[in-house]
Amino acid sequence: MNLVWKLLKQHISKPQFAGFFLANLVGMLIIMLGIQIYNDATKVFDGKEGFMKEDYLIISKKVSTLGNTIFKQSTSFRDDELAQLEEQEFVEKVGVFTPSNYKVRAGLNLMGFSQMSTDMFFESVPDEFVDTDKKWGFKEGDHFIPIILPRDYLDLYNFGFAQSKNLPTISEGLATSVTLDITIRGNGKEDHYDGRIVGFTNRLNTLLVPQAFMEWANKTYAPGKKVEKSRTILKVGNPADQNLVKYLQNHNYQTDNSKLKASKTAYILRLCLVVVTAVGVVICLLAFYILMLSIYLLIQKNSNKLEDLMLLGYSPAEVARPYQTLSIVLNAAVLLLAIIAVLFIRNAYTGKLEAFFPNYEGTGLTTTLLVGVGLFVLVAVFNHILVAHKMKSIWNRKD
Amino acid sequence: MEKIELKKVQPHVFRGRDLAQSNIWGNEVSFKKEKFYLIEANSGTGKSSLCSFLYGYRNDYEGDILFDNENAGLFPISRWVELRKHHIALLWQELRLFPELTAWENIQIKNKMTGFQTDLQIAQWFDMLGIGDKRDALIGRMSYGQQQRVALIRTLCQPADFILADEPISHLDEQNSRLMADLLTQEAKRQGAGVITTSIGKRLELNYDTTYTL
Repeated sequence: MNLVWKLLKQHISKPQFAGFFLANLVGMLIIMLGIQIYNDATKVFDGKEGFMKEDYLIISKKVSTLGNTIFKQSTSFRDDELAQLEEQEFVEKVGVFTPSNYKVRAGLNLMGFSQMSTDMFFESVPDEFVDTDKKWGFKEGDHFIPIILPRDYLDLYNFGFAQSKNLPTISEGLATSVTLDITIRGNGKEDHYDGRIVGFTNRLNTLLVPQAFMEWANKTYAPGKKVEKSRTILKVGNPADQNLVKYLQNHNYQTDNSKLKASKTAYILRLCLVVVTAVGVVICLLAFYILMLSIYLLIQKNSNKLEDLMLLGYSPAEVARPYQTLSIVLNAAVLLLAIIAVLFIRNAYTGKLEAFFPNYEGTGLTTTLLVGVGLFVLVAVFNHILVAHKMKSIWNRKD
Repeated sequence: MEKIELKKVQPHVFRGRDLAQSNIWGNEVSFKKEKFYLIEANSGTGKSSLCSFLYGYRNDYEGDILFDNENAGLFPISRWVELRKHHIALLWQELRLFPELTAWENIQIKNKMTGFQTDLQIAQWFDMLGIGDKRDALIGRMSYGQQQRVALIRTLCQPADFILADEPISHLDEQNSRLMADLLTQEAKRQGAGVITTSIGKRLELNYDTTYTL
C-alpha cells in the first residue's frame, strides 16, 4: 500500500487541505460550543426554578380602586374569558389557581421560642404545572400537607422581621426541615395537620399546596361555596411573543413584568444560540464541500494513475482507500481538536457561571460529543460513498 | 482458465468496414492455454482494441468473447480484478509504467499485490535483460527500450493462464528482443500459459503455433 500511497498522494494541495481543516475546525467548534452553551444555559435558567417549568406565566386582573375596591367588581376570571384565553395561539395550556375557601392558621415551634402563629391562605394549581421531585400530592386521610413557599417570604422574615426582633435567621435547608402546625377551620370543623415546606419559588407569589388537597379541603370545610378563579397560570410557547403581550394589555390582565423579562432573556439567548449553531452548520457544510472538491480534484489529477493501478489488478475499493483514509484522518483530527477546544472554553466559562450561580451544576458533554461524533460519522460515510462512486466511474471510463 | 473464444467479434468503430482480409474480426477464433499465437496487423486494424477487449478495459465491440464458455462482456468488476491479478497478464503497447516511481518500485507495486515472484528472481531478470544498473532509476529518466524491458518483467510478476504482449519489442534491438523472447517463453512454459503477441512488422521470435492477420 505504501507504493500506492506514494503514487496517489501526488498533486495533494496542502493549502486546500489546510483551508478545509481550518474552516471545518471553526464550523465544528461553533456547532459543538453552541450546543454545549445552550445546554449549560438552559440548566442555569431551569435550575433556579426547578419545580416550576419554564415558559409559565401567571396572570391576574388588575385591581383598580374604583372598580374593585369601591364597587366590588370581581377580579376573578369568568369561564368565557378562560375559554378565550385557551383559544389563543400563543397559549399551550391554561391552569386555574384554586384559592382556599376556609380559614388556615399556621404555627411554628422553633427551637424553644414561643409559638408564633399566623393566619394564612393556600392556593393550588393543577399538578401538571408543578415540577418537583419531592413528594407532591395528597390522599384523603393523609395528615401531611406539602407546601411550596415564595422565597420572598423567607427573605422578608430573615432580613426584615428576624433582624429587627433579634431572632435567628432561617436557611432554606432549615425551613424545609421544620414541621408547621396547620390548623384548618370551616364548616363547623377544626382539624390539625402537619405541614412541611418542600421548596421555594421566585415565580409564584403564593402558598402552594397540592390540587388534590385543595379540592378535598374546599369540599370538606367550605361545601357549596363558589370557588373564585382569581389567577391563572399559562404555559406559553414563547413568552416574548408580541401577540401575547398585546393580548394581556388589551384585556387588562397583569403579569409579573420582571419574570416576563427573564423569560424573554432566556428565549432570546436560546434564539441566538440556535442562530449561531446554524451558522456553524453552514460553515461546516461549506468546509465539507471544500474537502470534497479537493479530493475530487486530486482524484481527477491522478485519474490516469488510478486507471493504471486498476489495470494492474487493484480493485476500485483498494485504490479508493487512500483517499477515504485521508478524509477520515483529516476529519478525525478536526473532531479531536474541536473537542479539546470545547473542553477548554467550557472550563473557562463554567468558572464565571459558578461565581454568579453558586448552585450551578453544568450538564454533561454527552450531547455535544454525540453531535460531534455523529457529524464525523456522517461525513465519513458520505465521503466514502462518493470516492467509491468516483473510482467506479474511472473504471468505467466515464470521465 | 483454459481457452478464450471470439465469436464474430468486431469493434463498434469497424461497423460497415470490409473485414474480409481479417482472420479475427467477425470470425470464430479460439486461443488455448500453452499455445503461442502471433497476430500480425497493420496500423489502425484494432490490435490494441483487441488487447483491451480481452483485458476487460473496453467493451465497445459486437459479438461475444467467451472465457471458458462464459461471456466475458458480462463479468462484474470483481471478476475482472481477479482475472487481472491471477489469470491474464497484459504488456501494454504504451507500457503504463509510473514515471514517478523507480524501475524497481514499478515492479514491486505489482508483485507486492500478487506475491508471485521473489525479489531474487526479479533481480536476476533485471540483470538478464541488461538493466540491472537501472533498478533505482526513475522510469521517467529511462529510454523507451529500457522501459519496455521493465514492463515485461512486471507482466511476468503474476500467475497467468494467458500472457498478452502488444508490440513488446518495438524499440529493442535484435539481441534484446532475443532475450525477451527467451524470458517470455521460459515463463509461459513454466506456467503452461498461452501467449498472444501482436506485431506491426518487427515480431517477437517465438515458436508460434498459429499466426493470424488482423
